[in-house]
Amino acid sequence: MELLNSILYDTVYHSAPIILCVIGGIFAYKANVLNIALEGMMLNGAFISVLVEYLTGSVALAVIAAIVTTLLWGLVFSFLGITCNGNVIVIGLGINLIVPAIAKFVLKVMELANISLQDVGVADFKINIPGIKSIPLIGGIVSGHPVITYLAFIGIAAAAILMYKTKFGIYVRVVGENEDSAISLGLKTQKYKYIAVLIGAFCCALAGINLSMERMAMFTSDMTAGRGFIAIAAIYCGQGKPVQSSLYAILFGVARSLAVNLSVYAGPAAGMFDTIPYIIMVAVLAVVSFMKFKDVKVRGYKFD
Amino acid sequence: MKKRVVQALGCLLAMTMVAGSLTACGGKSEKKAEKKEGSDVKVAIICSAAGQNDNGYNQSAVEGAKKAADEFGIEYKVVEPTTGVPQALESLADDGYNVIFNLEYDFEALIQGTGGAQPIAEMYPDTTFVCVNDNPNQDKDGKTIHDNVISVLFDVHQASFVAGALTTLVNENAETLFGTDDYNFTPADDGGRSVGFIGGTNSNGITVFSYGYIEGINYEAEKLGVNYDYYAKYDAGFADSATGSTVAGTYYNQGANIVFSVAGSVGDGVASKAKEEGKLAIQVDANKDDQQPGYVLTSVIKNTEVPVYDIVKEAVNGKIDKMDRAQTYSLASGAASITDLSEISKHIQDSGKDKWEEIKAEIKDVEDKISDGTIVVTDAQSGEEFDASKCPNVTVK
Repeated sequence: MELLNSILYDTVYHSAPIILCVIGGIFAYKANVLNIALEGMMLNGAFISVLVEYLTGSVALAVIAAIVTTLLWGLVFSFLGITCNGNVIVIGLGINLIVPAIAKFVLKVMELANISLQDVGVADFKINIPGIKSIPLIGGIVSGHPVITYLAFIGIAAAAILMYKTKFGIYVRVVGENEDSAISLGLKTQKYKYIAVLIGAFCCALAGINLSMERMAMFTSDMTAGRGFIAIAAIYCGQGKPVQSSLYAILFGVARSLAVNLSVYAGPAAGMFDTIPYIIMVAVLAVVSFMKFKDVKVRGYKFD
Repeated sequence: MKKRVVQALGCLLAMTMVAGSLTACGGKSEKKAEKKEGSDVKVAIICSAAGQNDNGYNQSAVEGAKKAADEFGIEYKVVEPTTGVPQALESLADDGYNVIFNLEYDFEALIQGTGGAQPIAEMYPDTTFVCVNDNPNQDKDGKTIHDNVISVLFDVHQASFVAGALTTLVNENAETLFGTDDYNFTPADDGGRSVGFIGGTNSNGITVFSYGYIEGINYEAEKLGVNYDYYAKYDAGFADSATGSTVAGTYYNQGANIVFSVAGSVGDGVASKAKEEGKLAIQVDANKDDQQPGYVLTSVIKNTEVPVYDIVKEAVNGKIDKMDRAQTYSLASGAASITDLSEISKHIQDSGKDKWEEIKAEIKDVEDKISDGTIVVTDAQSGEEFDASKCPNVTVK
């Protein structure tokens, strides 16, 4: 029971940042500007929040600074990719490379190996819900997490509503599916693309804050460790649908949690669990692609 | 379509150029000491990925060079390679640096040559290259391949043994030493006699720590007649501190009071978890005791200052060619050891001070016994096999 409890708790722990990246990324995905800079933006959120907290001692200021700077990266990405029509993959790659480099540079100037916060503790951020906390199983899922983790799960529903039940969501999808018709309808397509990217940047900032400040009260170099790319894979598998994509994100959380928790019993072999999501994703992507094109009989059909 | 391709290529080109120019100016940090008369020795240090401010492994090597530079008036340069170690080795050798330390784990191009190229060691016969942490410079029969390559190895298994002994002693007396106000140790009869180990990758360079650590735990456990459980994970990687933190969390939940991690930044996550849980972590490579004050018991350190200084000194005296091509720095040399415990000592409560002195005396005794050969520790790095049956008081899970 103890084990199951900690598996569930760690699942939520590891899912939250990936879910945030997923719900941030799907709008850009639907608007046809693939944001591969999720990783870099998340790292920026992680770095700036801890850095500002370290320098000023104010958590609120840290959160605001992290969000604002990440939105600036979003603006850089949008300006170059949308206004200047640059290649979004290259720009995204650029951001993914420059953010960790800036972080390392600042650490080097400050002569630190990592930033570890002493005046706030991880326990300060946890919200223990009385009553629910002691219920077995459910307690581990629902109670004892920091604020942004809850926001991540609420965010899934919010993203689904925003995507399917609002005018904004419809416009974003129209812009992505057929930009010419969107223009013919008089939509300002660039505006929707900008907003889609900025929503992504905002969510990535939260993901970063969650990962570094809330969960660890510290920043270490490259601490995002590929979570942004996992989110992109999840978005592709879920075809940009908020709930499905988030489920793939949770799948990663489950696998990581199993790998971590079962290492006590299975030893190093527990690391095998880390491979499961990748196997599933490759299989899903292959099947999806096969189903999509299996009835296409035209010779020389261009798959675009 | 064509226009897109051209644009994309243009972008790529621009990126490459920017990256190239950044490498050129940003990648190398130069610290030149004023050249005094005499020696024509020029020393270069290639840092590992952790960088020169890692408060340990790289930094102490730089300090060794600095010390030698002040003393002998030589020139030295510190490089953090951004385009790979082989390029850095070549360009430094081209620039006339004749003693080059390579702290990064990348020796292939130097010793064997990659892609059909001549080995770098062969291309620059007048330059002495120093490989740290491994001895790649030997063929299958153990013969030295290049005469201008020196390998430096650290007996970290001995230092890990000391850390293991300390772990058992502290674990048995945790409440006496630290009290219960800021700490939350699991009592011994409730699963508290267990220890965790987290390694970055399953290689000899990592298991060497683990095996020494197990033997150290066993040594003291056998004396006290108690049994320990040992949880280990060898695939935690080196960057994902959040995963390190949760893995440590499961070990702490399992009852472990002390977790030893040999996994770069992942270990920082472990230390953060130790603080959260009110338990202890052991760090590695650098003195990271003050990272989470009071929650890092000690660090197993490789003090690269000692070999860097020694080798530079010999180079200045012109005797570098007469040094052993493979040098091992043991616990006795002071280059591989645990920290002086001064940080954790501040957190020992008054009523535990006597016990703490007792423990420190015992640790001193263990160190002496290792130095004089009474205690022999398994050295996985030189290919020795770990024999679990010799550690009856530790159950490896």
